[in-house]
Amino acid sequence: MHAMIVTDNLGKQYQDLVALDGLSLQIPPGEIFGLLGPNGAGKTTCIKILTTLARPSRGTARIHDFDVVRQPLAVKKLIGVCPQEINLDRELTAYENLWIYGRLHRMPDLAARIAELLTFGNLEERAHSLVREFSGGMQRRLLILRALVSRPRVLFLDEPTVGLDPQVRRQLWNLIQELKLSGITIILTTHYIEEAEMLCDRVGILNRGRLIALDTPAALVAKVGGYVVETLNSGRRQYLLVRDKEEAYARAQTEPTGVIIRQVNLEDVFIQLTGERLTN
Amino acid sequence: MNWFPIFYRELLLFRRRLLRLGYVVSALFSPMLYLLAFGLGLGKRVAMSGGTYLDYLLPGLIAMTSMTNSYTWIATSMTVGRLHFRTFQVYIQAPVTAADIVVGQILAGMVRGLFASGILLGLGLFLSTGLHLNLMFFLVLVLNCLVFAAFGVIVGMKSRSHEDTATFTNFFIMPMAFFCGTFFPVDEMPWLLRDIIKALPLTHTNRLLRFPFWNLESLESLALLSAYGVVCLALGIIIIRRYSE
Ligand SMILES: Nc1ncnc2c1ncn2[C@@H]1O[C@H](COP(=O)(O)OP(=O)(O)OP(=O)(O)O)[C@@H](O)[C@H]1O
Ligand SMILES: [Mg+2]
Repeated sequence: MHAMIVTDNLGKQYQDLVALDGLSLQIPPGEIFGLLGPNGAGKTTCIKILTTLARPSRGTARIHDFDVVRQPLAVKKLIGVCPQEINLDRELTAYENLWIYGRLHRMPDLAARIAELLTFGNLEERAHSLVREFSGGMQRRLLILRALVSRPRVLFLDEPTVGLDPQVRRQLWNLIQELKLSGITIILTTHYIEEAEMLCDRVGILNRGRLIALDTPAALVAKVGGYVVETLNSGRRQYLLVRDKEEAYARAQTEPTGVIIRQVNLEDVFIQLTGERLTN
Repeated sequence: MNWFPIFYRELLLFRRRLLRLGYVVSALFSPMLYLLAFGLGLGKRVAMSGGTYLDYLLPGLIAMTSMTNSYTWIATSMTVGRLHFRTFQVYIQAPVTAADIVVGQILAGMVRGLFASGILLGLGLFLSTGLHLNLMFFLVLVLNCLVFAAFGVIVGMKSRSHEDTATFTNFFIMPMAFFCGTFFPVDEMPWLLRDIIKALPLTHTNRLLRFPFWNLESLESLALLSAYGVVCLALGIIIIRRYSE
């Protein structure tokens, strides 16, 4: 099948800082793609380029075969963006925020669409309150709803679950899975790795602007393989990666305090690849 | 063209601020101050071009008010939306053109400028009989708002901080308010300064608002004002088209 998003050697440089370094990706339609990476890895930069907000320093990016630099208007018609920073109009009401956005996208039947979304996001009672008076989580919810007003074919969610309570976070996971059924393509960034493991068909791990891994969560986990022995040493949690269960038991026996033995998960992979916690 | 949502958003923000009374007071504070201090202070004593000083001053204050209000609103709103609240990103990521954004913003700035100068105009009708309110007068007022709202777009896009906006204001807007014939005739100025002043848009707005009748000089002024408007508008579109974070 033809890819929905194609980037080729995509790069972005800010003065002498390389924020994104030669990213080449192909994302098929209907995929939920997770973009992971430590702070400053270049995730938001990548999304800004794909959503026509930032111009790449080199390389190309195409969405649905439209070039983001040369055919920006065609790209803008296809996308919905939930940015990392909440950029709602604080001095306008929730309804007004969605209305302006819908009009920018020339949405027909806008009132019905807004009502539907506000009900879905559990904000209908606050529809006519100023966003300034909303809690952080409510603002985040409205931000996600806004990205959906135009029924985008490609949805960008840059850390959408930051600051959401567990209940609402779960609702959002369900929503993302529902959206997937309707065939939309989703690019998701998150620092909650288990979220990516659960939701994403594939994940790419960025580190200092470079793509250092790209596969399904299961395949990435399988590549590292084995078990993790977690121990608590004078208040510090330590993680030890071992090949198999037997080695894990042997290790556990030598530990004076409580131990947890578990299979490797995506977070272990992430940490090993980005080089922070695990030592083999 | 899809400029309406951009225009409407600014109007909603404007309306909300309008409801806070302090805002109207602050928008009209300086023209009122000048009107009281100079107009009423010197008004009856100093005669100027055939009328009282108040008659002379009033069209100038209307021009100045339309300038500062159109400009300030848009320059501030765009700077803050771009740098602080990041709401400007929404426009860039939406399927609207740079021209849509510029037109929407300029129209909103014009509403604001016409609102403030309209109040002053209404007040002036009680104080002075020297105003010539004809079609050209209003045409020029609208054109002046357009020119300075368009300049506001450029400043709003180019400022790297709130202080930057203030610098633009101090370098371009304030000198025009004082030198372009708002308070005293341009002809009294030394020659080099006079030539510079005669190239500035507000000089021509002042001239036209004081003498809104068709003749060669007014046509010249109208043409110059329009040229300023077109250039600022085009620059605004180019800057927004090139926008990248
Ligand atoms: N406008 C800018 N000017 C200069 N440097 C920038 C700019 N935007 C981003 N950067 C730099 O580019 C790098 C990548 O930033 P980016 O925001 O893409 O990271 P991220 O992966 O989204 O991080 P986080 O998880 O913290 O959101 C960082 O080092 C950042 O400082
Ligand atoms: Mg980010």
